[in-house]
This record gives sequence, structure tokens and C-alpha cells, in this order.
Amino acid sequence: MIASIDTVESGLAVCLLMTAIGCLFDRHLLRACWLLVLFALLMSTAWWYLNAPWLALVEVILGSALTGGGFIYVLRTLPSQRLWMPRYDRTRVEWPHRLTKGLLIIAWSIMLGVATQFLLPDMALSLTAHPLILSSVVIVSLGMGAFALHHHLMRRLMAFNVLGSGVFLMLAGMAGTSPSAQALITVGLLIAWLGSLLGVLLLRQLVHQEGSAALNDEYAPVRPPS
Amino acid sequence: MIWRFGLYDNTFDPLWMTDWALAAVLLLPMVFGALGAVFRPSRLLPVALACLPILLAGGVMVLDYQQVGLLRWQWEVAGIELTLRLSGLSALMLLITQWTAAAVAVYTPGYLRLTLPNASVRWLWPLMGLLVSALSLIWLAADLLILYAALESMGLAAVGMLLLSGKSAALQAGMRYLLLALVGSLAFLLGVALLMSQWGTLDLIALEARVEPEPLTWVAAALIGAGLALKAALFPLHGWLTPVHENAWTPVSALHAALVIKASLYILMMLWGILLPETLFAPRLVAWLGMLAIVWGGLVAWRADSLKTLIASSTVGQLGYLMVAFPLVLGPNIAPLPLSLAWDGFWLHLMGHALAKAAMFMAAGNLIIATGESSLKALAGTSRRLPLSLLIFGMAAVTLMGLPPSAGFTAKWLLLQSMVLTQQWLAVAALLAGTLLTAAYVFRVFRYSFDETAPRHDYQPLAPGMDAVALCLAVAAFALGLLAHFPLGLLHGGGA
Amino acid sequence: MSSLLLVVALLWPLFVAGSTVWCAYRVPVQQRHFISMLWVSAAWPALLLAYAGDVQWTMDAWMLGGYWELNALSRPWLAFTALLWSMAAFHARGYFADEQRQAQGGNASAQRRLQRLTLLWPLTLLGNILLIVAQDIASFYFGFALMTFAAYALVVHNGTPAAKLGAKAYLVLAVIGEGLILGGFLWAAGTSDTLTLKGVRDTLATADHGAWMALLLWLGLGVKAGVIGLHVWLPLAHPVAPAPASAVLSGAMIKAGLLGWLTVLPLGMESLSPAMMQFGNVVLVAGFAAAFGAALYGIWQSHPKAILAYSSISQMGMLTALVGMGIVVPAVWPALLPAIILFAGHHALAKGALFMGTSVSEHMPKWPTSLLFLLIALPGISLTGALAAGMFSKWGVKHALYEFEQERIIALLTWAAMGTAALVTVCVWRQWQQRQRGNSHSFQWGAWLAALIAALMTPLWLPLPEGSVIAPPLNEWLGIIWPFPVGVVGMALGLLALRRFDVPTPPAGDWWWGYHSLATLGLSAARLLAARCGRGKTTSVALALKGERWVMKGVLRGLSVESWMRQHGGGLMMALAVLLALLLIWEGQ
Repeated sequence: MIASIDTVESGLAVCLLMTAIGCLFDRHLLRACWLLVLFALLMSTAWWYLNAPWLALVEVILGSALTGGGFIYVLRTLPSQRLWMPRYDRTRVEWPHRLTKGLLIIAWSIMLGVATQFLLPDMALSLTAHPLILSSVVIVSLGMGAFALHHHLMRRLMAFNVLGSGVFLMLAGMAGTSPSAQALITVGLLIAWLGSLLGVLLLRQLVHQEGSAALNDEYAPVRPPS
Repeated sequence: MIWRFGLYDNTFDPLWMTDWALAAVLLLPMVFGALGAVFRPSRLLPVALACLPILLAGGVMVLDYQQVGLLRWQWEVAGIELTLRLSGLSALMLLITQWTAAAVAVYTPGYLRLTLPNASVRWLWPLMGLLVSALSLIWLAADLLILYAALESMGLAAVGMLLLSGKSAALQAGMRYLLLALVGSLAFLLGVALLMSQWGTLDLIALEARVEPEPLTWVAAALIGAGLALKAALFPLHGWLTPVHENAWTPVSALHAALVIKASLYILMMLWGILLPETLFAPRLVAWLGMLAIVWGGLVAWRADSLKTLIASSTVGQLGYLMVAFPLVLGPNIAPLPLSLAWDGFWLHLMGHALAKAAMFMAAGNLIIATGESSLKALAGTSRRLPLSLLIFGMAAVTLMGLPPSAGFTAKWLLLQSMVLTQQWLAVAALLAGTLLTAAYVFRVFRYSFDETAPRHDYQPLAPGMDAVALCLAVAAFALGLLAHFPLGLLHGGGA
Repeated sequence: MSSLLLVVALLWPLFVAGSTVWCAYRVPVQQRHFISMLWVSAAWPALLLAYAGDVQWTMDAWMLGGYWELNALSRPWLAFTALLWSMAAFHARGYFADEQRQAQGGNASAQRRLQRLTLLWPLTLLGNILLIVAQDIASFYFGFALMTFAAYALVVHNGTPAAKLGAKAYLVLAVIGEGLILGGFLWAAGTSDTLTLKGVRDTLATADHGAWMALLLWLGLGVKAGVIGLHVWLPLAHPVAPAPASAVLSGAMIKAGLLGWLTVLPLGMESLSPAMMQFGNVVLVAGFAAAFGAALYGIWQSHPKAILAYSSISQMGMLTALVGMGIVVPAVWPALLPAIILFAGHHALAKGALFMGTSVSEHMPKWPTSLLFLLIALPGISLTGALAAGMFSKWGVKHALYEFEQERIIALLTWAAMGTAALVTVCVWRQWQQRQRGNSHSFQWGAWLAALIAALMTPLWLPLPEGSVIAPPLNEWLGIIWPFPVGVVGMALGLLALRRFDVPTPPAGDWWWGYHSLATLGLSAARLLAARCGRGKTTSVALALKGERWVMKGVLRGLSVESWMRQHGGGLMMALAVLLALLLIWEGQ
């Protein structure tokens, strides 16, 4: 069984996982953005590896260039002269919050793992039989958890991107790259890009109007006296 | 169960005219939306003229359905099968969507003229067109790919529209909504991915035939359920709803509360009907959450300070009624009579609420424009100065409270009957408590409006037609209750 | 023909009332005749009707369906009632002549009072006629209520504080009485689904709670008939009412209660329930208590009309006792009923004549005083049974009772007649003391004389069934007559004996004052209780407010969860997904 491990696939899976974790949990925003770009490039490699060159191209253009570029563009052009631009997320997260989210991540991993086990019976014999699927399950759970955990809106948006990629990877890994699956993934990528674009523009407008404090999800704008 | 959604093979092909009507229904809203961005209509007449062909096309489709029965379209593009179908239910939802959206569209020019919004107004018409198209597609879609694409376009269009007011609070709320909606649809997609990997199809009819009760199906159903619950603002995932409506433009709020959240609920009902035909606990859980939603939404609305918060919270409570009906429609071993009653009640309530909530938002919007403030306290003295707007608000509230002769009453009556037949006394109690709470927050509004201690005289006059449109919707909600045999006939027509 | 007469009899008083209103607006006050001959004629058609023979009418359109009848009971009743009303109206023309002059002279209060009286007098009469002819519940009750409440104006006419007190007492008792009657009627009508008085009578005889219904009706009607305990309005209202009003009050209206008893109580019906027999005994005892009590209390009064009022109570007490006999010894009833009718008719006219006599003694015509007072005393003597019609009515009762060997009752009645004699003596003596000359009017004494003659000749004109009036045989005369001289002599001796002592006059209205202080006590107790309740209410409101604040604080604190839910949408969705999956898997496995 050990011999059947595909080193390229495993390496790809590990790289994907590492960049995803880095992107999700790095408090340095710019570095996280670059990691996201890297993650998107790795994803397109994975598509290539899964025999979906069309998807790889779309991923490079939409995921890596446009979405990642958008993030970096926003971070660079945020009006840092008005306030000290937080390139670093300093939001404090309480321990109970972290703990519950950690538990939820584990729960999701188990839930998705159980589902994939039923789908691919050979996974039951060896967890490492399908490293890409395994890593996608972990990425999805982590992405979901990170999304729920963070308060910083930009980090949540990035978590959404990572989560989306994980979902697509899982879809492609399990269902193969049939035309239907490819169409589904393409639509998903398109939507993710549009959503990210909208989100990024919104963030920019928010910081422009309210200052960087508005980047926190818990921030409540002061209502103008009516 | 699944035939009620029209997921079976048709006997007759659609007429050629119906194909054109379908194209018009799906494409014309977007075309006119784009035109609206260019010409920016500031009068009622061009908008009404633009609505007319779309409404006609919808009417043609419904007529054809009544003659032929289930209509089905299937295309294959690059190896991908795309399926649409028009069942009685989708015809009904299509009609409601088109007419409500038309009312909102007719209402919009006057609203925009009075509020003098910022430059972003040019986006309103195309987004509205996209939203209507996407909604129509959702009612018609019979495969998961189209469903997903339409759901996502609808979601993005809705977010875009809600952001248009440009206030910081709107942006903040819109950002939260955007993130949650995107993540919700990813959860939905994850479920779809699991289904597709196991059963190898996206077509709903094929899926229904192949699907079997096993853990993968359950996990997929759970993921789909959670994702759609988030998008449909089902308790306790409704937190994003109130701030979003609080800061949005009135026509946008009306459209969103009336139709957008209902689309997610429709998909949820349909997919769970396919995946979980005989389960007990999951629909029960939804029902329990629904009872909490009824009480919670009522309480929040009761203590609300601003009119729009009140209406948005009331949506949460009203969705609770629909959630309570889940085990009556989905559970195992339900006798045909309560099942049929609950089914009718569910959809009638959904449609009645759509009409009434749109009317209520418009009436509230009129009051807010006239008084210049959105708080309840600013309503003091409106009883004498703005009796018509208050009357419309009251008529819409009658539907929400479920008093006769409104659609809300008929729907609640059907649901109550079904609950009594299946002996779900807790749900009955929740339904009655919800009615009381609804009355409490509605009469709170009237208490403020009948307060004569703060006489004001500087009310902004309303544009022509603004009250009339809202009144038409409120009356339609009444008519739906009085003439319930027509919608119910269409609902039952799915089995013909 | 008789139907037409009925319509006229009922509409004529209405027309008269309408004409007074018309005059009030159309005729200038200087030329207005408040008491015109038209007004006097109000009761004449009814009088004619009484002699038109036995008739029945049914009218479905009238209220709940009208059923009216002139029969052996209602015909003589209508006859003496209408006759008395006519006489009283004549008398009123003389009695109010002075007041009318004042009114024409511009005295606004006199105008107002006369206007009120002339409007409500015919209405009272209308009620009285209607209740006599009515045989269905609704008509009877309507007539009774109309008569009762319209008569308020007759009592309160003078407007003095004493008149107001009398009217108040009258009204309080009347309202209580109406309530009792209505309760009894509704109970009976509801029990057996009947709408006629005859049906009520049958219900009372047969229903489970018939005795209680009978008690309600007896007490309710007894307010008018002066049942002991409910009689208190009579001595308060009569002295203050104008003499013609007193005459009809005491002569005609008081008999309406008796008529009600005769119509609805199961008199002369065999095999009644034990409870009903008990009730009959109560009626009997109450009747004799009134007969003797009123006489004993009345002789100490100083106002002649108060004395006459007590005399009325006493006489009605005897009649009450006879009604009680109808329940206790049903067999006696067929013979007793005509005697009672004769008794009632005679008493009505005699008492009317006595009351009119009080006004004649205050405005004596220029006749020899002794002759005048002899005439004034005549109806009283007749009432004791010592003369003319009185002897006939006494003998009629005695005769009926003799047949069934009710000697004890006869003895009691005889002693009661002594009380009557004593009362009449005191009354005439008081009138003598308070006599005044001058200012007499021919209508005043003319009507009085007519009533006097009619009273003395009652058996001749009262349309009683054939053979029901029996002349007393000569050997019984002594037995009938002796109470009168004994009563007069006893009274005279008593008065002479007490001359030395200054006996204070007890207040008229006897028990009223007891009721009054009781009611005052009850009122103050209720006030105390109300204050207590008010305090309790204040505390409970404060408590409720406190509770509401507490609950509201809790609700608001609970609602802060909303913002928590808002910020944890993602986490909640994850949790929901897991929960749903767990539930589904658990159920599926």
C-alpha cells in the first residue's frame, strides 16, 4: 500500500495544505495575500494534474491573477495616510471562541471524512490513498473554521477563497473531471471571483468611509444623528 | 411527494409560443435592466410598459401549462445536460415573482425621485433585471447546475442591490451578507459535489431515481440544508437579515424580503424532498427552530425601535411558520390529508407573505419618506396626515397576523388543520403565540401613529402611484386568501 | 265593534297625552287649559269597553305576539279601574284649578309641574288599561312597567322635599319590584317555553321550582299591592301626592298588583306541591300581618292621607290573605274569586272617595259641616262592612269561607275590620282637626260625591257574573256590622284616655327608615370595601408594573443574543450542518 503512494500527488497535497494553512492563519495580511496567490497557482497545477487544463487556465486567470491581484491591490492602495494602515490583524480572539471553532473544524473533518470514506472505499484501508482528496477535506474544514473564527473581514474573504478552492478540489477529486463537474467548478470559480471582487471593493469603500476599524466584523458604525 | 415539484417526464412538448415566452421570461428582465441603466427612467409609464411583455410572457406560460400540463425543456451543451421544467408550483412562483417585481419596479421611479440617491443608482435596474431572471430560472430549474448558477447570480445581484444606498452601515451589513451568502452557497456546492460524486448526475429526476438513504446522502443533505438555511435567514442563522434591510432602499428591501429568501427555502424544500423523503428528526429540528423563530422574531420586532427593523424581524418570525411545516411535508408516515393540507398551507403562506411583506415595506418606505425618519417615534401624528399609508400597513399586517380574509389566514388555517390532524400541539401553540406577538408589534406601530401629542405639519408629499402600488399588493394578499382555489388548483395541477 | 272600542280605549289616552304636548307648543300659556275636558275624558272609552262583553284578541305583530282578553276577571276590573280614573280626572279638574290659574299667571314651576302631570297621567292610565286586558307576558309587563314608571310624575308632583322622598321611596321599590317580576316571568317562560300568563300560571303549578317563581312574582307584584315589608312606599308617597293621584294610586294601581296575583298564581288549583303549600301559608301569614300591623301603626299617624295609606295596606293585607287561602284551600276559590273582585272594586271606589274626601275637607264647600263629615266618613264605614256595598263584599267573603268552615280566618277578618273602623275614625277625626273652608270647586266635590255613590252601590254596576253577588241574610247583619261600632268606640275611648299624654307621632313609612339606615350602613361598608379594594388595586398594579419591568429587562437582555447570532453566523452554520448530519446518521443507522 505504501508503494502506491504517488509522490507527485502527495507533494502537491502537502504543499497545498501548507500554503492554505499559512494563508488562513497568518496575521500578516500582505504575506497571506501572497500565500493565496501561491495557493491558487498550486491549485492550477493540481487541475493540470487532474487532467483539466481548461480549469487550470481559469484558475490561473481568475484565482491567482485577478483575485489575488485584487487583494494585493486593495492592501496597497488602502488610504494609509489617514490612519496607520493595519497590515497586521491584531484582533484578539477569546479562547472559548477558538476552542469551539477548533471543535467545529474537527467535527467537519470527521463528517466529510465519513462521507468520502463511503464514496471511496479504498480510503477506508489507507488514509493516504487519495492525498489530494484528504488534503481538500482538511482545507475545507480549516477554511470553514477560519471563516467562522476570524473577525477581520479581509481574512474572512481570504478564508472564503481557500474554502472555495478546497470545495472545487474535493469535487474534482471525487467526481472526476466530467464536463458537468467542470462546468460546475467553472461557475463556482466565476462566482468566487465576482464575490471576491465585490468584497474587495466593499472593503476599500468601507475603509475609505469609516477608517480601518470598520475592517472588524464586530465594528458598529456610529449612526449619524437623524 | 416529488411529483408535486413536477419532477417527472412530460407527455406533451411545449408549443413553439411557449419557447418564445420562456426566452422572454428569462432574458427580457436582463435586457430591460440593461436598458434601464442607460436611460434611467424617472417616470412610471416606461417602467410599466417594460414590465408588460414580461408579464404577458409569464401569462402565456401559465396558460400553456394549464392546457398541456407539465412543460419540460432539455438541452445538451458540450456534454452538459441542462433541464428546465414548468410545474404548477413553479408557474405559481413565477407569477408571484413577476407581479411582485413589476409592482416594485413601478414603485421605484417615484421612490428614486423623492430620495435623490447617489450616482450608484444606475446599477439598480440591471441588478433588478438580473435578480428577476435568476429567480425565474430558480423556479424553472430541474438540474443542480442551473440551480446553483441561478442561486449564485441571484445572491450576488441581491447583495449588490442592498449595497446601493452606500451608507457605511449598509456596506458593513452588506459585507457580512456577502460573506455569509458566499459561504452558504459553498456549503450547498459541497453537498452537491458529494451527491454528484456518488450518483454521477446533476439532473434532479435522475438523482431522485438513483438516490438511496446512506450516510453520504445524509451528509450532503445536512450540508445543503445548513447552507440554504444560512441564505434563507432561517433561525438561528438570520442575524444578517435585519441590518441589511435596515439600511437598504425600500424597493430593494421589498424585493429581497418577498422573494430572494424564499428562493433558498424553495430549493431546500425541493432537495430535501428528494434526498430525505422519509426522515423524522431533521425536519423536526427545523420545526423546533421554527417555533423558536416565531417567538424570537416576534419579540425582536416587538422591541424594535425602527420601522424597518420591525418589518425585517417579522420576516424571521414569518419564516418560522414555514419551518414549522417541514415535518408535516417531509416526515415519514404522514397521512395524505394532513400532507396535502400542509403542502397547500406552506406555499400559500409563502406567497401571501411575499405579497404582504412587499406591501408592508412599501408602506413603511412611504411613511419613512414622508416623515423623514425611520424610527417608530417619528410616526406620531401620521394617523391623521398619512391615513392611506397606514391603512396599507394595516392591511399587510392583517395578512401577517393571519386574520381573515387574508392569504395568511387561509394558510395558517390549513397549517393548523394539518397540525391538529397530526397532533403536533406544540406547533399549534407556537402558531397561536406567533399570531399574538404579531398583533403586539403591529399595534405598537399603530399606538405610535395614533399619538397626537407631537403635531407635525412638514410631511413630504409622496409621488403619484407609490401608495397605489402598495395598496394593490396588499389587496392582492387579501385576494389570494379569498380566491385561494386558483393558486391551490395550480398547486394540485402538478399531479394532473 | 268591541275591537274598535279596544283600539280607541288604548289610543285615546295616547291621543290625550299627545294633545298636551301639542298644546304645550301651540297654545300660549295664558289660554292653555291644562286640565281640559278632553284630558278628563281619557278613561271613558275604556269604561265603555268594560261593558262591551267578553272578547278575545290575538295579534301576532304586537311584540312577541299579543293575546288580550276581557273575561270574568278583567271586565269588572277594567270597569272599576276606568271608573275610578274618570272620577279622579274630574276631581283633578277641580283640585288643580288653583294651580292652573297660577300657571296661566306665569308661574313657570307650576307650568312645568302641570305639564308633566297632564302628560304622564294618561300614560299611566294607558299602562293600567293595557295590563288589565293583557293575557300575554310581554303586554302585561309592558303595561305594568309603563304604569309604574309614569306614575312617578304623579307622586313627585308637588316637588317638595317630602314629595321627593316619597317619590324616591316609590321608585326604589318599583325598580326592585320590576326586577323581581321580570325575573319571575323569564324564569317561568324559559322553563316551559310559554308566552301567556295562563302558561305562567300552569308552569308555576307544575314546575319543580314553581314555588320560587311564585315567590318572585308575588313579591314583585306585591310592591304595588303593599305586601308587608314592601309596603313602605305607600305611607310615604300617598300623603305627598295630589289627592286625585292618591286616589288612583291607592284605588286602581294598587289593585294592579292584586290582578297580577290573581292571573299568574296557581289559585284554586288542586294537588299543588308541598313547597307551594308552604308558599301559600307564607302569603296568608303575610296578609294578616299587614292587615293588623298597618292598622296598629296607622292609628298613630296625624296626616289623614298617611292614615288612609295604612288603611290601604291593611285592606290589601286582607286581600293578600284571601289570595293565600286560594293556594292553601283551593276548593274555596271558585266562590271566593267573585267576592275578592267585589271587595277590590268596592275598596277601589271607597278608597278613591276617601282620598278625594281629604281634599274636600281642606276646601270645604258651604254645606253644613256635620253633613259634610258624615259624607266623608261614609265610604270608610262602608269599608268596615257596616253599610251598603261594604256589607255585600264582606258577606261575599264570609259566605265563601263559611262554606268551607274557615271560622278562624273569618274571625281574623272580623278583627281586622275593627282595625279598619279604628283607622277610619282616626282619619275622620284628623280631617276634622285640619279642616279648612273655602276655595272649593264644583268638580272637586262633584267627583267626590260621584265616587262616594259609586262606592256605596258597587254591586249594582260592577259587571260580575250572574249570581255571584249575594245579599247577606238579616240574621247575619249583626255579625257583619258589629266591628264598626266596637272599633269606633274603642278608638274614641283610647283617644280620650290618651288625651293626657303627649304621644309623639311615629314617622310615616315605618320600616323605610330601617331600610334607609340599613342601606346607609351597607353603603358605608361598601365604601370601606371599595377603599380597601382600591388600595389592593394600587398595590397589584404596582406589583404588575414591577413584574413587567423585570420581564422586560429579561427580554431585552435576552434580545442581546441577537447580535451574538449576527456575529457567529458562520459558526452556527457549521454547527447546524454537523447537528443535521448527526441526526440523520443516527436515525439512519
